[in-house]
Amino acid sequence: MVGEIRVAINSDQDIVSARQKGRVVANELGFSSGDATLIATAISELARNIVSYARKGLITIKKVNGHNREGIAVIAADEGPGIPDIRQALRDGFSTSGSLGLGLPGVRRLMDEFEITSQLGKGTTVAVKKWRQ
Amino acid sequence: MKTAVRGKTSPQTNFEDEYRSSLREYAAGGGELALGRAYELGRRALNEQKSLIEMASLHHQAVLALIRDAESDKQREESIRAGSEFLAECLSPYEMAHRGFQDAVKALRQLNETLEEEIKRIAYAVHDEAGQLLVAVHLALAEMALELPEAQQGQVTRIRELLNEVEKHLRRYSHELRPTILDDLGWVPAIQFLADGVSKRANIPIRIDAIFSGRLAGPIETALYRIVQEALNNAVKHAAAKNIWVRARKEHHGLCCSIRDDGVGFDPHQVQTASHRNGLGLVAMQERVSAIGGTLQIESRPGHGTELSIRLPLEDSHANSNRTRR
Repeated sequence: MVGEIRVAINSDQDIVSARQKGRVVANELGFSSGDATLIATAISELARNIVSYARKGLITIKKVNGHNREGIAVIAADEGPGIPDIRQALRDGFSTSGSLGLGLPGVRRLMDEFEITSQLGKGTTVAVKKWRQ
Repeated sequence: MKTAVRGKTSPQTNFEDEYRSSLREYAAGGGELALGRAYELGRRALNEQKSLIEMASLHHQAVLALIRDAESDKQREESIRAGSEFLAECLSPYEMAHRGFQDAVKALRQLNETLEEEIKRIAYAVHDEAGQLLVAVHLALAEMALELPEAQQGQVTRIRELLNEVEKHLRRYSHELRPTILDDLGWVPAIQFLADGVSKRANIPIRIDAIFSGRLAGPIETALYRIVQEALNNAVKHAAAKNIWVRARKEHHGLCCSIRDDGVGFDPHQVQTASHRNGLGLVAMQERVSAIGGTLQIESRPGHGTELSIRLPLEDSHANSNRTRR
């Protein structure tokens, strides 16, 4: 795939570099600066989850084409403990951060498409997309 | 409250200092690292329940300081641009939370609609299905009466009267559960109908003084009806009121509706804080009022009755009598 960028996530420092890569791709695609901010935020939330629950993982950022439209895809994969109850994890208020709407449910609201797979003991993959308006 | 605010002082100063220094870093070319910090600061602010107004004022001061220190017009311009980028990044967690709240409000509205549908269904069951059963009982009774001696006919008549009474009550209850008047004529006639029934059953005079014309949006009328229903119920059941007054007025671009009684009263503070049984009803009323954007004021004192006042700001779109309603 052309222009696929991978960022290994091991620390808070890596979150910044994933954000930066995401913003570059978003700008190249012509997203508004407001949308680029929301994309960076979604990447931060995903990367944060990796750091706090799996310690390390990988974030992949790429351009995608849909029906007459272009967008950005972000895939966050880790080999951490996995999520026992995905439905619960997507509900607001489950995350220990407390505030409503942060974490995975927040990411889902910021992006247009959201997919999650998780296996206990094997890890979690979250794939999100946002289309340019 | 005072102490809580004071307790927050030291992390607050930290937060503000950090905001200022991170913004300064970004303006000086700090790049994504500084923007990442802006996002983290926003997340922290959200968790510390800082209001958007606080954030705006903090940002304003931080940008002013940057501009003051700038050495050229170009630098000043740069400070402003960097400032807005930094602020957007910092507020993006608020955007996430905002969307979360929007979804939660939508879900609550849907839940409320489902409950109202359920109430309609129950009201229908009570009225129609129980009504049909009563008709069957009447017929069976009439058949039996044919074979009874004259001396016992009086008893049959008595049973018929009781059945009629049961039917009247069932019809009444089912209408009060979800009065068709509410949909057809609006909340004021619906409340009049309700008060009339409660007054007769409890043998308490209820005076209604409502000067309010025009219809409100469906969910608002239903909410007002439910609140008055609960208030009347409380006044009769828990307050042992001898008189109840309901008043509704259009005031200062809004609606004010109050329900007052001369019953035993209570200490609102105690009832609302303790997990008091009646407290639940008040909390539910409170929530109903805020769900439609209003406020509920509770005034009560042991031995001095109770007054509940609902205030609801009305936009022009609410008071539209020609509105098509579901």
